Amino acid sequence: MASRREFLQMGVAALTLPIAAGGSLPSSISLSNGESSIPLYKMVFDERFAASRAFAKEAERLGVPIHGIKGDMTDLWYHDLYARWKEGPVAIAGMTAHGAIFCLERLAWDQRMRVVFRADHRVLPDGSIEHALSGPASMLRRAGRLSSERNWAEEIASIVTRCPPSRPQPSLANVIGPTVKHADDPDHLISWLIAPVHRG
Amino acid sequence: MKVPPGVSESDFAKAISEFEDAVGKEWVFTSDEDVALYRDPYSPFLGEPDELVASAAVAPDGVEQVQQVVRTANKYKIPIYPVSTGKNLGYGGAAPVYSGSVVLDLKRMNRVLEVNEENAYALVEPGVSYFDLYRYIQEKGLKLWVDVPDPGWGSPVGNALDRGGGYLMAHLRNHFDSHCGMEVVLANGEIIRTGMGAMPGAKTWQEYKTGFGPWVDGIFSQSNFGVVTKMGFWLMPEPEAYLSGTVYVPKHADLIPLVRILNYLENTRCTNGMPDLGSPLLQIPMVSEIDIWNRGEGPAPPDAELSGLLDKSEAGYSPELEAYAQRKGLTYWSCKLSFYGSPKANEANWEYAKEKFSAIPGAKFVDNESYKLPLTPEQREKVHKPQFGIPSLAMFSIGARSSTNPNPTNGHMWFSPIIPRTGEAIFEANRIFNEAAKEFGIPALRFSLPSTYWERAFIFIFAFPVTRDIETNKKDRAAFKKLVQRAAEHGWGEYRTAPAYQDTIMSTYSYNNHALLHFHETLKDAVDPSGILSAGRYGIWPKHLRKEQA
Repeated sequence: MASRREFLQMGVAALTLPIAAGGSLPSSISLSNGESSIPLYKMVFDERFAASRAFAKEAERLGVPIHGIKGDMTDLWYHDLYARWKEGPVAIAGMTAHGAIFCLERLAWDQRMRVVFRADHRVLPDGSIEHALSGPASMLRRAGRLSSERNWAEEIASIVTRCPPSRPQPSLANVIGPTVKHADDPDHLISWLIAPVHRG
Repeated sequence: MKVPPGVSESDFAKAISEFEDAVGKEWVFTSDEDVALYRDPYSPFLGEPDELVASAAVAPDGVEQVQQVVRTANKYKIPIYPVSTGKNLGYGGAAPVYSGSVVLDLKRMNRVLEVNEENAYALVEPGVSYFDLYRYIQEKGLKLWVDVPDPGWGSPVGNALDRGGGYLMAHLRNHFDSHCGMEVVLANGEIIRTGMGAMPGAKTWQEYKTGFGPWVDGIFSQSNFGVVTKMGFWLMPEPEAYLSGTVYVPKHADLIPLVRILNYLENTRCTNGMPDLGSPLLQIPMVSEIDIWNRGEGPAPPDAELSGLLDKSEAGYSPELEAYAQRKGLTYWSCKLSFYGSPKANEANWEYAKEKFSAIPGAKFVDNESYKLPLTPEQREKVHKPQFGIPSLAMFSIGARSSTNPNPTNGHMWFSPIIPRTGEAIFEANRIFNEAAKEFGIPALRFSLPSTYWERAFIFIFAFPVTRDIETNKKDRAAFKKLVQRAAEHGWGEYRTAPAYQDTIMSTYSYNNHALLHFHETLKDAVDPSGILSAGRYGIWPKHLRKEQA
């Protein structure tokens, strides 16, 4: 039992409910390999964390606009997404700590959007990183690379740009990767993709 | 599709069809995926069959649609559970108290109906969030502040009906007290307006609260007697300036006169912002300092000697600890005062406060921020935003680093007893809760200071963790209930709670053989004879469910 101020020093918890299946996603773009994927409005990263910065760098290379936060996503939502989502739902992705995705997911629900891909990156006691992924099977096909991929954050950035327009039953994958934790990274980062849902 | 208890599948199907006719098919949610969004992310029943869940959800766009939904619910005896934005995490979220209820999701009713700058009030629908209202005011360039809770993603209507609190002037911090006028859809579908709103064409619905005759607004908060569809709120005219100063006092016993003088200064409106208690010696930050401490800009961690003394202290005190403080020049307690107003008035009030606190031997004073308002962008980044009427979600960003949060939980339940606004009560509550924590097998408390939202009472707010372990959660739920009872034995009642504990807490308000609850039930039977509205909310069950809950 902690007092409210101790609690505020420790942080607010975020619960991960499982990603649900169903529905379909709207318009798509074509990838160079002929597959189609949904367009991303922005990819969000936490400027404080090296892995997240690497994620953003790869996103930029892939031509997706990026937006940096420092833990708090209030300004991103208030000054950007609030108005953009009022115009209509658009997909966003990111690599952040739990608080940002916890809030964005709930705000997205009100705009008929859902988290359709999520990967929890947890540093294990031996220093390796466990990547627990949930999302469309086509996105998870590349997850095997994470087991040997030292630049896992870049790989994840690539994966989130490949979300298919349709949304089948989500698949799960668990991959242990090599030790690559940067000193200023937390022990738990989350990659995620929020996309519009058309109810069937 | 889950069906509400006691309702046949065919009746539920007919009701769903009528809900769809009322609000449009796309705004009735029955799929598991959609209904799951109404789960309480901090449910203490995670992974257990007893988790409180909805059967479906309906999202009307206006009061007429609410009336239609309520009438249909009455026709088929469907339990419905209105929520505004459902973001009161730690107090239940959007999940119904009576599992299987249909959530009446009012998020689409998100219109700011009026904001009056001159007389500083607003009239809003329940789906308007604090961010929505803040944005409306900013975009129109109105010189008004909204008293926001922290975090600020909920709605003024929902927060006020749950009796939440904020951070501005005393008369606005109690959000239910600062409302003025309601529109309510009753269980039979009839609409009433309270206060001056009962008069057709009234000119002062949001300016004079009580109208004529019994003032009934209170029965629609923490209750289930109607669906509030409009609510007025008093706002704060943007002050010219803000000033804060902190008083530090050296000794443990100084907390008693510190609070006594603080109360005098607040009740005479010398200080008009939310006071903020802390303890430099016990390393308890003032609320406004938490962000600073979290950025690593707080005081150095305690040295080995202080750590040892803190561990050995009882309820934050030992003679050795106090001697250490004196030797090191550390003060026991701090209290930051806030002043909103003209620069001259703020300065004069702070000077007067210093004069009063000087009665405590050894009191020291530090002048803090002095801002001409509105804040500059740079100033905004430094302040605790809710104290300037700015909604924020920053509290969710705390704790990313593992060193301060090595074992994150899956949420929390707030245990929040109200205690007298005295230093003696702070000491006693710490002693009692610490003893209870040991007795009930929950982690011991460090000395804790209460929050000062309410001007005439303190509130302690403790977070009970929700974990992924069912047995731990069961143990914590039992401990929570015991703690509620222990608090009640000392005359301290909770102000608000999550659905899992509403019956327990209501049972402690038992004067004269639970006469108050019996009165609630009499009202319930009269205004909602079918018992369709929010069954069980705040311990009020409709007649047909009362026996099974007993």
